[in-house]
Amino acid sequence: MRMFRHCAALVLLLTGSATAAEFKGGLLTPSKMAPDFSLTTPEGKPFRLSGERGKVVALWFGYTFCPDVCPTTLAELAQVRSRLGGDGNRFRIVFVTVDPERDTQARLREYVSAFSGSFTALTGAPERLAETRKAYGVVADKRVVAGTSAAYLIDHSAFVYVIDPAGQLRLMFPFGMPIEDMTHDIKLLLGR
Amino acid sequence: MRQILSVAAIGTTAAVLLLGPCLVHGQSQTIQISNAWARSAAMAHGSMGGGSMEKGAMGKGSMHKGDMGKLEGANGAVYVTVTNTGGQADALLSASSDAAQTVELHETKNDAGVMKMRPVTKIDVPAGGKIEMKPGGYHVMLLGLKRDLKPGDKVLVTLKFERGGEVRAEAAVR
Repeated sequence: MRMFRHCAALVLLLTGSATAAEFKGGLLTPSKMAPDFSLTTPEGKPFRLSGERGKVVALWFGYTFCPDVCPTTLAELAQVRSRLGGDGNRFRIVFVTVDPERDTQARLREYVSAFSGSFTALTGAPERLAETRKAYGVVADKRVVAGTSAAYLIDHSAFVYVIDPAGQLRLMFPFGMPIEDMTHDIKLLLGR
Repeated sequence: MRQILSVAAIGTTAAVLLLGPCLVHGQSQTIQISNAWARSAAMAHGSMGGGSMEKGAMGKGSMHKGDMGKLEGANGAVYVTVTNTGGQADALLSASSDAAQTVELHETKNDAGVMKMRPVTKIDVPAGGKIEMKPGGYHVMLLGLKRDLKPGDKVLVTLKFERGGEVRAEAAVR
């Protein structure tokens, strides 16, 4: 752990001036390695977070039944990606479902295509998804609610977890953070 | 309300009196709708979770009901700004649209970073005040979309107010 911290400090030195004051999002100090996970894409392929080294990863936990906060966040992250221009290919947006019951692979494929493939959707066995949420401190509570035609709704954490190219969990973006601020932070993490 | 009825207002009143239940697009005497938009969304093309869909039976817009007749499928949201120009408090009671199986009024609340979306029975619009629906707040929820909502499309919604009656709004998909 100590060695790891030294490495992190070195990375900070090498990348220059990325100090806490410069980030707009919530900075995690000390940063730690982002909990690794292996989940499944809608095409049935395995996806491992640690396979994304060299990219900044924006991790979002949500469900496709949600018409409000989830698509808003994904659309905003897609705008961040387009604002990065050529660096956009070093920015991976990952959506992890908190609703494997309704978010089948077929459903996720459609959802991704509705967003022009701007993000990677992931699902997996319910236990594995629960482990992943726990590792990130994500809450997802299924609620059967009166007064709606929806069978159930899910109360869930609405932070974007940002992982730097070295695989460290560095930032948390709250819901509603301005797109220019998110873009600013991602650029810093990309060393731009 | 006072006695400041402008010629336009008198005109509107006359039109309403003459046309009876006909809807005035985007406004009633006291309710104005502005900035109406909908989030783009894709309905499920016959591949929704949980299985047995009667493909073709109901056409492209078909969807099935899951356990207890609850709706499953793709959803959308419409956001509007409601301005109450009247001197009395009003309330949005319900909404309808031909774009979805069911339309509900919902509110999302941010509880220490956890988003909680719930149906609401009404949305109060104070006299002389306005309600701005937006992501993470109030929205008109479209449950069970009958078609894709693509950028550039329009979604028609009819909003029913306690005092202002029915007001139609055209939401631009973006």
